[in-house]
Amino acid sequence: MAARAPGGDHVAESRRDEQKLWLILFQIKGVRARLNFLAMQRWVFAALALLIGAIGLTFYAAATFGPLTFLIVAVIVTLVTIVGISRETMRVRAMRASLTRAATIADDRSQMQGRLATVLALNDSPRRSSLWAYLVEDTYGRRENYEPSRIEPQWLSRAFYLMLAAIVLGALALPAAQLSRGLQQRLAASGAALPGRVTADISSLDIRPADPALQPNAEIYADPATLKKLEDKIAAADSADRKRNGLSKLLDKARSFADTFQDKLNGLDRNHPNPLRMRLTDNHPGDSSSPHNENSNPGRPGAANGGGGLASNSRPGGAGSSQPGGAQGQPPMTSLQPQQADQLASKDANAQPAPGSDNGSNGANAPANSNDATADGGSAHGAGSDPTTLFGPASAQPLGSDSFKIAIEAEPTDESSSRGSPTYVPPRVRVPLNSVQYPDEPLARAAVPADDQNTIKRVFER
Amino acid sequence: MNEAQSAAIAELPTIADFARTFRRIQAEIHKVIIGHERAVEELLSALFAGGHVLIEGVPGTGKTTLVKTLGLALNLTFNRIQFTVDLMPADITGTRVIMSSAEGRREFSFQPGPIFCHILLGDEINRATPKTQSALLEAMAELQVTVSGTTYPLIPPYFVMATLNPIEMEGTYPLPEAQLDRFLFKVRLGYPGEEELVRIISSTTGPEESGVEPVFGPAEAAQRIEGLKRLVREVLVAPPIEQYAARLVRATQPANSRVLGDLHSPITVDEVNRYVSFGASPRGALALILGAKVRAMLDGRANIAYDDIDRVAPAALEHRIMLNYAAHSDNVDAEHIVEQVVKAVRASRA
Repeated sequence: MAARAPGGDHVAESRRDEQKLWLILFQIKGVRARLNFLAMQRWVFAALALLIGAIGLTFYAAATFGPLTFLIVAVIVTLVTIVGISRETMRVRAMRASLTRAATIADDRSQMQGRLATVLALNDSPRRSSLWAYLVEDTYGRRENYEPSRIEPQWLSRAFYLMLAAIVLGALALPAAQLSRGLQQRLAASGAALPGRVTADISSLDIRPADPALQPNAEIYADPATLKKLEDKIAAADSADRKRNGLSKLLDKARSFADTFQDKLNGLDRNHPNPLRMRLTDNHPGDSSSPHNENSNPGRPGAANGGGGLASNSRPGGAGSSQPGGAQGQPPMTSLQPQQADQLASKDANAQPAPGSDNGSNGANAPANSNDATADGGSAHGAGSDPTTLFGPASAQPLGSDSFKIAIEAEPTDESSSRGSPTYVPPRVRVPLNSVQYPDEPLARAAVPADDQNTIKRVFER
Repeated sequence: MNEAQSAAIAELPTIADFARTFRRIQAEIHKVIIGHERAVEELLSALFAGGHVLIEGVPGTGKTTLVKTLGLALNLTFNRIQFTVDLMPADITGTRVIMSSAEGRREFSFQPGPIFCHILLGDEINRATPKTQSALLEAMAELQVTVSGTTYPLIPPYFVMATLNPIEMEGTYPLPEAQLDRFLFKVRLGYPGEEELVRIISSTTGPEESGVEPVFGPAEAAQRIEGLKRLVREVLVAPPIEQYAARLVRATQPANSRVLGDLHSPITVDEVNRYVSFGASPRGALALILGAKVRAMLDGRANIAYDDIDRVAPAALEHRIMLNYAAHSDNVDAEHIVEQVVKAVRASRA
């Protein structure tokens, strides 16, 4: 028995050493599990944060931007999200802790001075020296220093807060998108209820081939001369359309796709778009850019009366007679109140064009507005060089109207098809004057003294 | 583990014994040497790691005193050789002389030189010719001396300390790289500070000088020191630490070194490429590990940490790095190079 006792002690001691070693390794494994769990949390939370942010941004862009801009934003957001998630995946893979790495981290964070890494590295190695038992004992005695909870006190990754922030931003983006969409819908609804509130100047109208995203929901009405001008512009646009290259067509397809996607995100029904009623006017009837007016006198803007109509008119002073239907005795559209203009427009839109006024080029409307030099439609006065019509009542003169533009009363619509269209020009909204504002009053032309009138007539008669 | 191994381990001193002995020797030395704590620690580390030390310092900084004090504290045989330009190898190793035997015969007999001792101080080693300097090579590396075809072993522990005077270069012979490489550490002794200088004055100009008490008895000194040296070798080193030491050494090699071939270090340090002709040899890595083992034991550990390697890197690597002319013109020294290397390799570890 006495001989067996030392051997038995040795075995028992060896077994105790093995248990201590096992406990050390178990704690290192615990550290590794905790580190890897945090790394996994980080990946999940960061990826979710990126996805939530991307979705929120996409919805907001869908409600705010036009199709093409939305498409660009959506592509960028998708790319950033993919790249972000990929990078985060790689980073988390690099963060993933092996047992060796966990031991090294535990050494660094618990001031164990490489004990854990050495125990782990030499655990199965035949290179254990006589100090191995000392090292195990020493490391075991310091086990409180490298408990997993001390090495990594966090149980929730900081990326969780990133995800919370993304959720908050996403939650803000969705109502913002809905708010923006609702506002646009309300504006569109109010615009639909008031036909004729949208007025566009054909001179500044840039017509080009229709955006495939556009829906045929616009109703345009105008006087025949303006419509003729519109036809010419459309013809020119069609011609330009035939010259378009493949890239433009590809862009159209992309825009169409973006519009469909955008409508789906916005919950819009493409089959029942809100109609848009727009009154088209021509503020620059003498615009030489119009093919219709090529035979008019470009040097006299005031005489640019519907092109051909002016050519047949011996009294070129009939400028400003491009009012719808050549309405006799009516002031020019430029001086009408919006309600009056709308009434006129409605009448023009509903009625057949008056003889001689369906085409501004035939000059049939000339008698209606030019033979009566003293008529209320005094836009003819003083604008030409005919001595017989040189003078008129100062109060009835057009007061320098040949250069100012009509303010377009327009209201934006939420029709996605009307956004992003290359022809779309933001309308100018007429705002009612407040109590301290006064309408613009052009300076009245001074009456020509009677003595001077003869002199001036003589000069013109030469 | 068999019984023979268990018995051998039982004879070994413990880590606590080592640290206690080390601190006691340190304390004895500091009775005479004021300041230079780090130099003394490195000197003792080299002793217990089984290496030799090159001491560099300007005159009057206590180089010779330090070595003499160490010999007294360890109670080991101590010899001093003043290296001069006319010193011959036989003056160091010994030579065969004709002696008359008891029978009246005359025969050659070997007269051992001063190299046969436990602690050898080679004072101003760079004043001797390379031929004489190389007489130390075999003794330092292999603990033996060969004279006239006969090899004589040296009795361990054997510890060579050579001093270098860095400012009087007139008529000196810089040590060849092969010999420099055989020194485990290079220890710098700088000028003492004002406070230390005052203490030196008061302790050395009084009626009595401080007496150094031997830490070991004369009979047991060699055996105990050898036991402590064996214990140092038992310190455990994890493979990542060995890899770290290897990286440090490889990072001292310039990328354009022709001796490297394709074995370039993955860690490149700009200063090394610009200023270093030759980096540290594999002996540098051994010096790092052995020095770190002593450091670990002083810290009560049976394993090496990265910090131990970093701590001994300057002493172990500086004298092994050969600087080029650009370094001399830019006033860059090996200390700066080692500092940059350690920083770069540590960063790569993180």
